[in-house]
Amino acid sequence: MTEPTPAVLDEPIPEGHEPSGKRGARVITREMVTMLTVPPILVAAVFGGFVWWRQTAELDVVEANQLRWSLLINSRFHEVFPSWNPMDWHAPFPSWNPATWYDGPLLQGLIWEHVLLTVVSAVIVVAIAVPLGVMLTRGGLKVLAPIVVGIANAGQAAPSVGLIVLLFLWLDGGFWTAIIALSLYGILPVLRNTIVGIQGVDPTLVEAGRGIGMTGWMTLFKVELPLSVPVIMAGVRTSLVLIAGTASLACFIDAGGLGEILQTGISLFKFSLMVTGAVLIALLALLIEWLGRVLELLTRPKGI
Amino acid sequence: MWNFVKERWDLILYNALQHANLVFQAVLVATIVAILLAVVVNKFRMLESVANTLSAIGLTVPSFALVGLLLPVTKIGATTAFICVAFYATLPILRNAVVGFSQVDATLLESAKGMGMTELGILMRVRLPLAWPVIHAGVRTSVQMSMGIAAIAAYVLGPGLGGYIFTGLTQAGNENAVRYALVGTVGIVFVALIADLLMLLLGRLTISKGIRA
Repeated sequence: MTEPTPAVLDEPIPEGHEPSGKRGARVITREMVTMLTVPPILVAAVFGGFVWWRQTAELDVVEANQLRWSLLINSRFHEVFPSWNPMDWHAPFPSWNPATWYDGPLLQGLIWEHVLLTVVSAVIVVAIAVPLGVMLTRGGLKVLAPIVVGIANAGQAAPSVGLIVLLFLWLDGGFWTAIIALSLYGILPVLRNTIVGIQGVDPTLVEAGRGIGMTGWMTLFKVELPLSVPVIMAGVRTSLVLIAGTASLACFIDAGGLGEILQTGISLFKFSLMVTGAVLIALLALLIEWLGRVLELLTRPKGI
Repeated sequence: MWNFVKERWDLILYNALQHANLVFQAVLVATIVAILLAVVVNKFRMLESVANTLSAIGLTVPSFALVGLLLPVTKIGATTAFICVAFYATLPILRNAVVGFSQVDATLLESAKGMGMTELGILMRVRLPLAWPVIHAGVRTSVQMSMGIAAIAAYVLGPGLGGYIFTGLTQAGNENAVRYALVGTVGIVFVALIADLLMLLLGRLTISKGIRA
């Protein structure tokens, strides 16, 4: 199919395909600008609306309890790690669960837990999926790459609830079970994009790298990885969105997160709690997606 | 495990069909809505970025959150599940339909007009067939995505196999819990695979021979 002839003559040329001004500057398309500006404004507006409602509405006991908000938050870090001494590693920690390192109102705790679930899983995902993806593009493991990409594509259909519940029945609930489930679910897009990104690098460039005397590792770190960063980061963003959304199901397995407010709202059939939970989950997801986009922009090597 | 499935085979099959049915109906409505929206978007080009932004934002909102937002209006049951699945199914199709329509060669539209075809005739006989491969890819993505969303919608008693997963959750500790959860999860993966094969077949049958890759 051919390129569309613009119906309106004064339509601006899509900036993405034109090198913008200076050589070596990062190219920013109009869609990227909208996606970087609209969601934060939307999030701020809706969150402002929520705060306004929260301050003016008359809350009953349950609601007040669930939605309590305080500007004074205590860290329980020192309580949990009594006098942390690097020489004394077997100190009896009350909990390795970061969600308990905090003491304060329920709602803020759940937000903190939701963010923790998302960030910890995302870090684990990147730490596992990128090296694994690289390994699958080299040497004898190359034959496995198409199979893994196929599984990654098919894995989309596996229901996230099913995975979480099965892991819960196997390992029992809690923060780290949720982390395992979220990491497993989020790993597929990053793995797939790493493989696809590296395979998409022009082989003549790799050959040129070898030709000027680079070792295999050097071509990997100086040529292949930088060139596939945009693709990999797109996978990271997809996976961040998946993880942030699935973290809202962590409440089913006693791992907290903002889903808990929504779950309480559904089981008590209290509209205020349902909507609050839902809105906060959605806002947090949008914010995390936005962070992913910012990361995508920042990590992109200049000149691509 | 085998006996567990065999004893409940009729019910499992029924729920699998319900699951497929929910997804099918939701995606069907979503396809029609998305194509109509894309026609409007294509007419006013400035709406294109609005549509893309909205669909990106919509896809970011977790399905569990949408369930929570819908519940006060639509109450617990199949309606909520249907609207939720249809909402998410619309977005990838809309995005692909906008791209598909904008890729249709303008000279073809002009010659169609010159032949005296009406606006509707051009849409049905020129633009839709030419954009269909792209739209079809969107529908395929939608079907896969909807399978998982339908599972979450089972939390508010939507129809389908997702119910087994939640039964497994509430019966944790019981020896059948894992079997219930497995039947739900694996069942949905199976239904999704079959649906994907059917979508491939649909593509073979409906994509016009002249533009088939």
